[in-house]
Amino acid sequence: MSGPEITSAAAAELTVTGIGVISPRGHDASAATLPGAAPSGDWFDYRTELGRRGYKYLPAASQYFLAACNRALRASGGCEHVPAEERGAAVGTNSGAEGLHSAMDETIVKTGAEDLSPATAPFFSINLFGSRMAMEHAFKGFNLTLTSPRVAGFEALRTGLRSLRLGRASWLLAGATEDALAVLDPGASGSEAGAVALVLESAAGAAARGATSLGELSVRSGFLPPHKAGQPQGTEHARRLLGTALTAGGGTGGGGTGGPPDEVTAVLDDSPVGRAVTGALGDTARRVPAGSGCLEPLLQAAGALARGGDRSAAVVTAAATGEVAVCRITPARTGTAAHRQSDNEA
Amino acid sequence: MDEILITGLGVISCLGNGVDAFWRGMNEAASAPRRVPDPNAHMDIPMMYGVPEAEVPRAEREPDGQPLGLGSRFALEVSRQAIASAELDGTDPQRIAVVIGTGMGDAGLHEEWRVSGYPERDGWSPTFCVASAVGSLAGAEGPNISVSNACAASGFAISIAADLIRSGEADVVVTGGAEAYSRVALGCFNRLGAVDSRRCRPFDAHREGTVFGEGAAALVLESEEHARRRGAPRAYARLAGAGWSCDAHHTTAIEPEGEQVVRAMRQALRESGVDPSEVGCVVPHGTGTLINDTVESRALSEVLGPVAAKHPLYSLKSLIGHTGGAAGALAALAAVLIVHRGTVPPNVPRDVADPECEVSLPERAVPFDGSAAVVNAYAFGGNNVSLVLQEAGS
Repeated sequence: MSGPEITSAAAAELTVTGIGVISPRGHDASAATLPGAAPSGDWFDYRTELGRRGYKYLPAASQYFLAACNRALRASGGCEHVPAEERGAAVGTNSGAEGLHSAMDETIVKTGAEDLSPATAPFFSINLFGSRMAMEHAFKGFNLTLTSPRVAGFEALRTGLRSLRLGRASWLLAGATEDALAVLDPGASGSEAGAVALVLESAAGAAARGATSLGELSVRSGFLPPHKAGQPQGTEHARRLLGTALTAGGGTGGGGTGGPPDEVTAVLDDSPVGRAVTGALGDTARRVPAGSGCLEPLLQAAGALARGGDRSAAVVTAAATGEVAVCRITPARTGTAAHRQSDNEA
Repeated sequence: MDEILITGLGVISCLGNGVDAFWRGMNEAASAPRRVPDPNAHMDIPMMYGVPEAEVPRAEREPDGQPLGLGSRFALEVSRQAIASAELDGTDPQRIAVVIGTGMGDAGLHEEWRVSGYPERDGWSPTFCVASAVGSLAGAEGPNISVSNACAASGFAISIAADLIRSGEADVVVTGGAEAYSRVALGCFNRLGAVDSRRCRPFDAHREGTVFGEGAAALVLESEEHARRRGAPRAYARLAGAGWSCDAHHTTAIEPEGEQVVRAMRQALRESGVDPSEVGCVVPHGTGTLINDTVESRALSEVLGPVAAKHPLYSLKSLIGHTGGAAGALAALAAVLIVHRGTVPPNVPRDVADPECEVSLPERAVPFDGSAAVVNAYAFGGNNVSLVLQEAGS
């Protein structure tokens, strides 16, 4: 390959055994790819999802992520069989704390920091969404928070998988969480809210304990400098960057088996980078508008996994700031995986 | 396994701009926090170790006209320095990655908008675009990753950068951390009663909390093979190992037994093949908060053994404050300079040493007597990372 090409961080023989989705579209992986719904109204009740005590003062993005993780863990069969120090977690978020920051800032400016809630104050730190989950389920291997614009959910998968391959843990819970921006924040009209969580473990281990494999996935990412994207050669540059991510096979085995994906979903905006990637993908990709965060790409990937069947898929996303990522999804071929997932969640 | 070399450095802090200013400041061992220049900082202790106004990098804009926040401007400045010192010209852009740690990103820009008016455009303006700005600067087309594990963010970023090289995904990574003043972050620390009213006093018996600092540090990490092939002008040090763990204990407090911080340090030493007796210096997390310094002191004794109290610590935060998401990178850069120059600079003197913290904090420069330096970075939520740095070629 002569031009720039985004590289693979696939981990060998890892499979998805649990999906958790919390979304205004529905709290089920099968609803993840339904047309977008505005994140407003009473679409989420922490008492139903998490319990009546101990969660009231958690920021919404923390509640969403906990709830999605609980669903993914239940679907996977729990994590008690994994030593605490072998449990790794990685979460992506861009805007999960923005609304909270806005409210805190208003308090500080208008009346002073002494009027901040001591229960909420620690959550100015965006890594606490993941850390709160780690406390709940004793994840002591590692706990990462990735915030790369729009691709953070995919980077959480990618970084988590790489870390497993390098031996930093043996079992991974990765996902994304977002909450609505404050009304006046730029991009508020595209706010996202909700969370996705995926459990990944060795295929052999999953099989040994009788867990259902939902499929495999791999993530590749790279960077298209916005000033290059805006040039006449931007589309060609994006095409080279995507490279074999869309022509070689997917799967966590990373062996390139299976050839190009049967379907491509593009989660893009109208920025020069988004337009360059759109041009590179051509007319065959299904278009989904990108929101002001990193949730939509992972919702699309979760939906593709949950559908099951024989059709492989890819979700492509990019940010105006230059980040580009591709997630390849190879659903389990049993055709029953999604149904068993739904059964587990019921 | 191919070694991970550090071939470029850049830094900005309250000590000034550039590596020479930083090293000079480390050896002068004198600094003081000052009031933040924000009339809306309505809080008890609006103090921090800010970057001197004359050293603040000029305002820049993204290619689409969006202004860059101070966090991004710090990161761009130190990345320029690091890339220049590594003489990276000619490196294949697809083999260059960027990994930057930041706790608040460009939150300061959004805070400014809230009081002085929002931009007219409605396009999303992500807070965590610091790594993106560096990617554009460097023309780096490999992975571009923003890590936000609070005060351990850039410690993890450096480790992830090394992992990218080890896994073959990049040959060169521009990594580090950046943090600028955030009214929200400082206000929340005030509300939590975690700010010292005088100065940052890690391991002092009368410490009251921490004091924030502004700053950024960038390191160019590179595989030894790639550095040799392109004739890199120098290697300051090598990143020999890293260890990660998570307390899974409390949102803000370190786990009191230090079990996981011990595990991270041991993992880093094991990965680097370094015996604890070879450790010549530790740049601790050492924030000045009561329990952190006590637990870390005990953990060091457990990891390094009976001689732990004789291993010199270099308490960087007592000089430049707690630079949040940039703290791990600034500590790593300090450790690189200590290893490279063979000297542990003098610590800022403590008023009264805390007897609960059995550590050595020399107040005069001492020779770096060992083969490795250990860097610790811990964060809210119990996210722990330890790094081991050694002389290049050792």
